[in-house]
Amino acid sequence: MAWDPIFWLIFFVMNIILIALTIYQIVCLSDLEADYLNPYDSSSRINSVVVPEMVVQGVLCALFLLTGNFYMFLLTLPNACYNARLFMKQQHLIDVTEVFRSLDAEKKYRLIKLAFYLVLFVVVLISSLICFIQPINSIE
Amino acid sequence: MGTEDPNRAYIPSRPAPSPFAATQGIRPNILNRPIVGPDASAFRPTPPPPQQNTTPFSSSGPAESGSAIKPNMHPASHPITPFSSSGPVSGTETPEFRPSYSARSITPSTNAVPPQSGPPASGPFQRFPSPQFPSTIQAPPPQASPAGQQFFPPQTRPQISTAPTGPPPTINSMPSGANIPNSSVDSSIFAPRPNLQPSFSQMGPSNFVRGTMQSAYQAYPGKQPPVVTQPPPVKSAAFVPHQENYRASPPAGPTPYLSSQGGFGAPPVATSTGPFSREQMRPTGSGPPMGPVQGLIEDFSSLTLGSVPGSFDSGLDPKTLPRPLDGDVKPKSFAEMYPMNSDSRYIRLTTSAIPNSQSLVSRWHLPLGAVVCPLAEAPVGEEVPVVNFASMGIIRCRRCRTYVNPYVTFTDSGRKWKCNICALLNDVPAEYYAPLDATGRRSDLDQRPELSKGSVEFVAPPEYMVRPPMPTLYFFLIDVSVSAVRSGMIQVVAETIKSCLDRLPGSSRTQIGFITYDSTIHFYNIKSSLTQPQMMVVSDLDDIFVPLPDDLLVNLSESRSVVEALVDSLPSMFQDNVNVESAFGPALKAAFMIMSQLGGKLLIFQNTLPSLGVGRLRLRGDDIRVYGTDKEHTIRIPEDPFYKQMAADFTKYQISANVYAFSDKYNDVASLGILAKYTGGQLYYYPSFQSAIHKEKLRHELARDLTRETAWEAVMRIRCGKGVRFTSYHGNFMLRSTDLLALPAVDCDKAYAMQLSLEDTLLTTQTVYFQVALLYTSSNGERRIRVHTMAAPVVAELGEMYRQADTGAIVSLLSRLAIEKSLSYKLEEARNSILLRLVKALREYRNLYAVQHRVGNRMIYPESLRFLPLYALTLCKSTPLRGGYGDVQLDERCAAGYTIMALPVNKLLKLLYPTLVRIDEHLVKALPKTDELKNICKALPLTAESLDAGGLYIFDDGFRFVIWFGKMLSPTIAMNLLGDDFTTDYSRVSLSERDNEMSRKLMRLLQKFRECDPSYYQSCHLVRQGEQPREGFFMLANLVEDQVGGMNGYVDWIQQIHRQIQQNA
Repeated sequence: MAWDPIFWLIFFVMNIILIALTIYQIVCLSDLEADYLNPYDSSSRINSVVVPEMVVQGVLCALFLLTGNFYMFLLTLPNACYNARLFMKQQHLIDVTEVFRSLDAEKKYRLIKLAFYLVLFVVVLISSLICFIQPINSIE
Repeated sequence: MGTEDPNRAYIPSRPAPSPFAATQGIRPNILNRPIVGPDASAFRPTPPPPQQNTTPFSSSGPAESGSAIKPNMHPASHPITPFSSSGPVSGTETPEFRPSYSARSITPSTNAVPPQSGPPASGPFQRFPSPQFPSTIQAPPPQASPAGQQFFPPQTRPQISTAPTGPPPTINSMPSGANIPNSSVDSSIFAPRPNLQPSFSQMGPSNFVRGTMQSAYQAYPGKQPPVVTQPPPVKSAAFVPHQENYRASPPAGPTPYLSSQGGFGAPPVATSTGPFSREQMRPTGSGPPMGPVQGLIEDFSSLTLGSVPGSFDSGLDPKTLPRPLDGDVKPKSFAEMYPMNSDSRYIRLTTSAIPNSQSLVSRWHLPLGAVVCPLAEAPVGEEVPVVNFASMGIIRCRRCRTYVNPYVTFTDSGRKWKCNICALLNDVPAEYYAPLDATGRRSDLDQRPELSKGSVEFVAPPEYMVRPPMPTLYFFLIDVSVSAVRSGMIQVVAETIKSCLDRLPGSSRTQIGFITYDSTIHFYNIKSSLTQPQMMVVSDLDDIFVPLPDDLLVNLSESRSVVEALVDSLPSMFQDNVNVESAFGPALKAAFMIMSQLGGKLLIFQNTLPSLGVGRLRLRGDDIRVYGTDKEHTIRIPEDPFYKQMAADFTKYQISANVYAFSDKYNDVASLGILAKYTGGQLYYYPSFQSAIHKEKLRHELARDLTRETAWEAVMRIRCGKGVRFTSYHGNFMLRSTDLLALPAVDCDKAYAMQLSLEDTLLTTQTVYFQVALLYTSSNGERRIRVHTMAAPVVAELGEMYRQADTGAIVSLLSRLAIEKSLSYKLEEARNSILLRLVKALREYRNLYAVQHRVGNRMIYPESLRFLPLYALTLCKSTPLRGGYGDVQLDERCAAGYTIMALPVNKLLKLLYPTLVRIDEHLVKALPKTDELKNICKALPLTAESLDAGGLYIFDDGFRFVIWFGKMLSPTIAMNLLGDDFTTDYSRVSLSERDNEMSRKLMRLLQKFRECDPSYYQSCHLVRQGEQPREGFFMLANLVEDQVGGMNGYVDWIQQIHRQIQQNA
C-alpha cells in the first residue's frame, strides 16, 4: 500500500492539530482562572477553535474508516459521537456569562480529551513508524 | 474597547451599491402632528445645521441584503439628514463616504413626509408591501385567567379546621411528669404573645395545670425569646431544681407518652413546641456546676445557646408553632460580640460561627455563606462615613490588597500595621502615622472612622480609574406597538420620565437618550440646538445602524427643552399606531451601539413578544406537556443565545439593563430577564398592565428606579482570611474573574449572595475576617470605594454554628440556590432539594443531642432556626417554585424568580411570610394617640382561621396589598371606604380616599405601610370573602400555612419533616 505512509502522515498531522487546539483551550481556561484573561476574550478564543477541533476530529474519524483502519475508527468514534451530540444540543460553546461556574468542569473535560488525544498520538506514532519501517524491512 | 466599536464595524463596511439602498431606512421626520402644523415646513426642510456637514448617508448604507427590495419601497425616503459624523464613534471612517450624500438628501422626504407627518405615519411608506402583520400574529397564549383554574381554595378550610380540633391528646393523657414541665414551658413562652393566648383555652383539662405551672415559672418572664442577656446566676440556680425534678422522671417520659398517642390513633409524630424557653433560661456559663444533672439541662448548659427540644404529638396545636410575626429579626448577640463589624444590613453570614474543619462543614447541611447588600439604605444618622486620604493614597495591605479596617493592629509603636486578613506587616505611611498609647491604641482612633467603623467609604484616587468617571446616563428603549399604546403604558412612562427629569442623579452631567420601536426603530435627535426633537426611522432590521453618531444621547441639562418636548409628544405620536410587531432585538443592538461609549442604565419597556429581527422569540410557555419531563426547565431559561450574548456585551461596556415587561400575553420574561440578570439590573413585571389600574405602581417604581442613588460602573470583591474562599456567587451580576463581580449599576435594592468553602482541612486561626469592597462611580462623578469589614469567630463545634445561625441569610441563600436549581431541573426537584437540606440539617442537629438525651418523639431544632421550617415551606410555595403548570403562569414565575435573586434579606422574608393585620378595629376607634404602626397592627398567622368574617384585613407581602373584607363586616365600614361601590364586584373597584375619617385613616395607614418599604409600590387589591375566584387567587393561595392546591400546610409540613428525620436517623 503505497498510500499508507501518506495517510499515516496525515493522521499524524491531524492528531497534532487536535492536541494543539486542546492545549490552547486549556491554556485559555487556566489564564482565565488566574485572571490573566477576562472571560470575554477567553471564551471567544476558546469558542473560535471549538468547531474547528470538532471538524478535524470528525474528519480524522472518517478517514480512519475510509482507509480501513477499523480499530482506529472505533477508537475515535465515541469522541466523534459525543462531539456531534454536543453540537446538536448547542452546548459545545462556552457560555461567557456562566464561564466561571463551569470552569472546573470544562477544564476537566478538556484534560480528559487531551489525555485521549495523547494516547491516540502514541498509537498513531507507532502505527506510522511501523508503516514507514515495514517497506524498508521488506526492501532489505 | 476600540476594537468593538460598533459603528466602525459596520458603517464603513457597507459598500454603497446604489444611493437608494443606502438611505432607505432613514427618514428624518418631524415628531408629531402638532409640530407638523405650523413649524413643520420651516423646520423639516431645514437642512442640516451648519456643523453637520450634510453627510447624508447613502454611502454608508447599502444594506446588502435589503437593497434589492427596499429601494422600491421607499424610493422617497432618504431624507437622511444631517449626519454629523463628527462623533468619536465613526471617527475616521466617515469622511470617506460623506461626499456622496449631500445631493440626495432632502427632497424626497419633503414630498413624502408631510402627509403622514406623524410617526404613526411611518406606516404608509416605510412599510413593505407585504402584509403589515406578517405571519407572526400572536395567538393569545392559552393560559387561563390567573384565578381560573389554579386554586382550589375552598378545600383548604375544612382541612385546616380539623387540625386544631383534634383535642390535645398529649396533654390530657399525660401521665408522666415529664411532659408537664414541657407544656408549662410552652405556655410561659407564649404567654407574652397575646394573640396566641386563646389557643390554650381550648386545651381543656390541661388548662389549669398549665396555669399553675405557668405561675411557677413566672420567675423567668424576662427570658423570652428575644432576650439574650445572661440571666443572673441566682435565677439559674433557682431554675436548676426545677429542671431536676423534671428530669428526674425521664424514663417515664417517652414511653407512656407514646402509648397514649397510640391510643388516640395519632401518628407518632412529634414536633417542636416549647421551644425556645429552655435555652434562654439556661445560664450561659453554668456548665460545670450542673454536672450531676442529667439530660437536657446539662447539655444545654454546656452549650451557651443550644438545642431546644420540644415535643408534639400528632394533634399538634398549630397555634404553638413558631412564626416570624415580628418579621426579620437580626441576630443581635453577634453584633454585640463584634461591635466594630459592619452592620447586618450590609452583610449577613448564614452562620456567624465559621467551622474550623472540612468535616464540620460537611455536617452543616445548610448553605454556608453570606448575603451582601453593599449599598443598603442606612437610617438617618447612621450613614457610612466618607474618608478621603487625598494624596496619601488609600492604605491597603501590600500583599492581599485588603483595605485598612478596624481589625488591623498597629505595632512597632505605630510604624507598622498588621493586616488582619493575611497577617502581613505593612509600613504605615508617614502621613498616616500616629503614636500608640499605652494600651496599643492609636491616639487618633476617634478621628479615623476607617479604624473604628465596619463600614466606610473611601474616595478613590485616579489610580482606581480606567477612564474618567462616567456621567450618569439613562437611555430609554420604549416599545410603541399597539399593545403598548392600548395599555396606556407609554403615557404613564412618558409622564413619569418627565416628572423625574429634575430628580435624576448626576446634576448637570446626566445624559439621556431615547429609542422607540415597533416593526421599525425610531431614533430621536434631541440636540440642544433644535427646538423640537427630530425622529429618524430605520427599517433595516438585519443590519442595524445608528443614523446619527451624536445627538441621540445628549446632556440633559443642555437639551432639557427638547427632551421635554419629546416626552410630551411621545404618547400622542403613537396613539394611532396599529403596528403589532416588535423589533426588540435590533432595537437593543441599536441602543447598545449608542451607549457603548459611556455605559449607563438602559431602561427597556417591552410590551409584546419580540417578533422581528434578531432575538425574535416564539410562544413556548403554553405547553403543558413539557411539565414533569426532563425538558421542563428549558422554558425557564432563555431560548435564544442572543440575549445572553447581549447581556454579556452590555456588562462589558458598563451598561445595566432594567427590564419593564408588560403584557397580557406570553412575553417570554425568561429571555428578557436575562438581560437584567447579567447586567446588574432589575426586572419589573406588570402582568396585564392597564394604566387605569397599575398606573401608580409603574409610576412609583419607575420613579424610584430613576431617582434612587445609584452606583455606576462598579465592581465588587469580597476578600476573606486564609483558608476560606468564596466559591459561588448568586444574584444579578456577571463575574469578571473568579471573585470579581461586575456590576454596571448597583443600588440599595440589590443584594448578592455567595457561598464559601474551606480551602484547608483545618482552620488554625481564631477569627476569620471578611471584607467586601465595592469600587464604583457615584452619581456626582466621584470614584468611591465602599468597604464593609466583618469578623467572625472560628468554632470547632456544630452546636455553636447552629447557635449563631441567621435564618434570614440562610433563607436568602437557600431560595437563590433553589431558583437556580429550577433553571436546570424540574420544579419538583428544586423543592425537594430544599426539604432535603432542611431534613439533613435538623437530623444532624438531632444527632448532636440524641445520644445524651431522650429526644424520643420530639423534633428538636435550634432556637436560632426556629422559623426555618416555616420559611422553607413558604419558599416551596413561593411563586417561582410553586406547583406546576397550572399554578402560576410561566412569565410570572420567571419574573418572581428573577426578582428574588436580587432581593435583600428583609424584603425576601416579608415576601415569603407576608404580614396579615386586622384593621377594622383601628379604623373604628377614635383617633389613636400614637400612630405607631406597631401599636396598630399585630401580625396574625397566615391561615384562614385568622380571618374573621366580621373583620377587615390587610395582607402585605411587600409587593402588593390585599384588603380582605369579611362577609359580616359592618356595612358602614365598607360604605365609608368604598362609597357606593361597596356592593359591586370588587375587581372593578379601586380604593381612593373618600371624604370621611375612616377612609382617610385607611389611606394614612397604607401610606405608612408603603413608607416602610419604598422599593416597590404595593398596589391595593380588594377582595371580599367568598368572592371566587378572586379571593382564592389573592388571598387564600397566599395563606401559606394552609394546605393549598396539594401543597402541605404548616402542621403537615412539620410532621413530614419529622418523619423524614426519623426515618434515617
